[in-house]
Amino acid sequence: MAHAVISCLHANHAALEAVLADIDQQGIDTITCLGDLVGYGPQPNEVVELIRQRAISTCQGCWDEDIIEGLNACDCSYPSQLAERRGHLAHQWTADQLSEENKDFLANLPMSLRRDRLLFVHGSPNSQHEYLLPNMDAFAALERVETAGADTLFCGHTHHPYVRELRDGSIRVRVQEGVASGGPSLEKEINLPLRRIINAGSVGEPRHGNTNATYVIHDEQTGTVEIREVAYDVERTCRAIIESGLPPIFAWRLRHGFEYAERADDASHVCER
Amino acid sequence: MSQTLLISGPPGCGKTSWILKRVQAHRGPCGYLRLAGYPDEGLAQAPDGGIDLAYLQDQCPRLLDLADLDQALAPRPEHLLALIELPQFQPPTESGLGGVDRRVIPQLEALHLKPDEHLHFGRDTALPRQDTLDFSSLQSWERNLAGTVWDPASLSSFWFELVNAAYGDVYRAKALMNLPDGRAFFCNWIVSQEGSQFLPLQTIAPPDCRPERMSRLVVQGKDLEPAAIEVTLADCLLSQALPHSSPSA
Amino acid sequence: MARWALISGLRGDLEAYEAIQEDLRHTRRVDTLFVLGDVIGPARNCDALLSRLQQPRRGELQPQCLYGWWEDQLLAERGYRGERRADALRLSQGETAVDALLQAVDPDHMGWLAELQFGFIELDCALLHGSSATVEDSLGPDSSPLLLLDRLTRMEVNRLFTARSGQQFRIELTGGGIESQVRDLEGQRHQQQSVPKRQVIGIGAGVHYTIYDPGTDRLDFLTAGSRPQQRARGFA
Repeated sequence: MAHAVISCLHANHAALEAVLADIDQQGIDTITCLGDLVGYGPQPNEVVELIRQRAISTCQGCWDEDIIEGLNACDCSYPSQLAERRGHLAHQWTADQLSEENKDFLANLPMSLRRDRLLFVHGSPNSQHEYLLPNMDAFAALERVETAGADTLFCGHTHHPYVRELRDGSIRVRVQEGVASGGPSLEKEINLPLRRIINAGSVGEPRHGNTNATYVIHDEQTGTVEIREVAYDVERTCRAIIESGLPPIFAWRLRHGFEYAERADDASHVCER
Repeated sequence: MSQTLLISGPPGCGKTSWILKRVQAHRGPCGYLRLAGYPDEGLAQAPDGGIDLAYLQDQCPRLLDLADLDQALAPRPEHLLALIELPQFQPPTESGLGGVDRRVIPQLEALHLKPDEHLHFGRDTALPRQDTLDFSSLQSWERNLAGTVWDPASLSSFWFELVNAAYGDVYRAKALMNLPDGRAFFCNWIVSQEGSQFLPLQTIAPPDCRPERMSRLVVQGKDLEPAAIEVTLADCLLSQALPHSSPSA
Repeated sequence: MARWALISGLRGDLEAYEAIQEDLRHTRRVDTLFVLGDVIGPARNCDALLSRLQQPRRGELQPQCLYGWWEDQLLAERGYRGERRADALRLSQGETAVDALLQAVDPDHMGWLAELQFGFIELDCALLHGSSATVEDSLGPDSSPLLLLDRLTRMEVNRLFTARSGQQFRIELTGGGIESQVRDLEGQRHQQQSVPKRQVIGIGAGVHYTIYDPGTDRLDFLTAGSRPQQRARGFA
């Protein structure tokens, strides 16, 4: 059975509407959202309400968490003072705009969702702030899936959709106990299971080089994964940005397919706060 | 034997770069003067604000400032190569010295300068061929950045936005910017060329207090958005309280 | 190159610490002493040991200390970890254990304990109480090799020294690999990655300690008081 996974909506109502229409057109009933419903974009209440209205299973993203906790993502998430200032401004604006009811909804979102051997998270099973980049160490990537007890891990946070298959893995070890050198040792080899990480990209703030929203469709029976790109009325969102009083530069960045604020280079860093 | 060259051409055609190469190649003393040019037919000339002189003097510390009246009155050194830069959009109507804009002559005379030769980008083959733009109307905007220090990563983001028309249709951008480690960069971009220049200055300012040297941003283009630029500048400049250097330092 | 001594799990036992320091006085080429946490515990008063660690006696190696699981619990209970309290201790050993821990350490030592670091990186080695993920991680011979490799990868080090399990062991990653295939909007990429030759070393606890030679990568697992004493040269 096919199901759709969406992520990183970032208060972009036009993009979300277009993606849901695309999903509906394919007759897919099951949709999972990997969080970041709000953040930077101009329509946080509208987006949250649309998700609630459609009863889409959703886990909490880093922005959702930050709005509720009253904290910004740590400074290490921003590579520049400019990105940090824009992020803080967007955080404050979003917190001011969101209704109490919608804040409650975000506050009660689970950290992760599980369906059989499928696990759905925003960043990684460890943290909403950890990026699982497609080129991260393959063993570390496998560890994330395996330790979480899943066969397939769905994640977002990077805004860059991909499907990663980790296969034919093995590790050989030699173990010595109690005696460091010259004593008996035990050699063993473990074979690693096949696992997959599927990143759903971003509906509302793409980072893949153009303005289209992205999401994924996964067929549980066949295992196939389709990365979908959906064009939408970007200018509608840009107008909403200007009308809402958010910085006009956000509209320029969205219109040109750039993220609102750059992400730090050290994607493996996990905030300790 | 001394020589005085007048070099003219539109913004961004490469006058200062060519002048720098000539200065670096000349074995004797060199002097430099940048004239402001004239607003013709609605073209607004952005005052350079001294960016070109400051950059050239950094690269060639013994470069004489020919705008300095004391220099003008003092006897000129032998074998002086004097280079005069004149922003000028329209090509000269005559070849050679006859094509020099008449308005320039009294200024030069006051500084005891008389060109031996006039070269114009796009007309004279002695100068490299450049894609000179046809500016039909141009706004300009500048911001004094003296005493400011940039967050380096923010500077990259801002410059990217600026040259990619986030703040209006920018045709030309030029700046001297200070970084927190005491370095400064000459940043230069023109719409006809691919890529920006980020050239480090030779002199390093002490990093424990605000830099005293010239720092400025000059932008030329259409439908410029100064208010939006100012907002971004405020987010890019480091606000850490650094002392200004004491007069006795 | 001089050697390192690595100890942990003293839990207030000043005698054990003195025995180790005595061993080290007679051990050649050891100039660095790392203490990988758990210097405190609920079973005995820890003040004397804590004072000694902060003010070593003449002739003793200056200890470089990290915080361990017990320190973390105490710091949490005393309010040094935000809202978190000694919940893990409370859950596993009950309220009496929390009270005993509070009684075992004079509040005057809290400032020093709060300054302790999570880990050290020395010469491509990570020195931690638990692991690079958390102070609670108990790495040992039964740990999944995938987990061990992950903990090494997080710090990008070749050697990870850990103490939480209390065991002395050396686990060498000797080989293996994995295939990775990534498909995105730009196409497909295939990559093969090999297991790096790295090690996780359990340094022991209490009187069981470890000497490591970073120059030769040689490890010795020792027990204080059990080595034949080498006579010191020179005058007594």
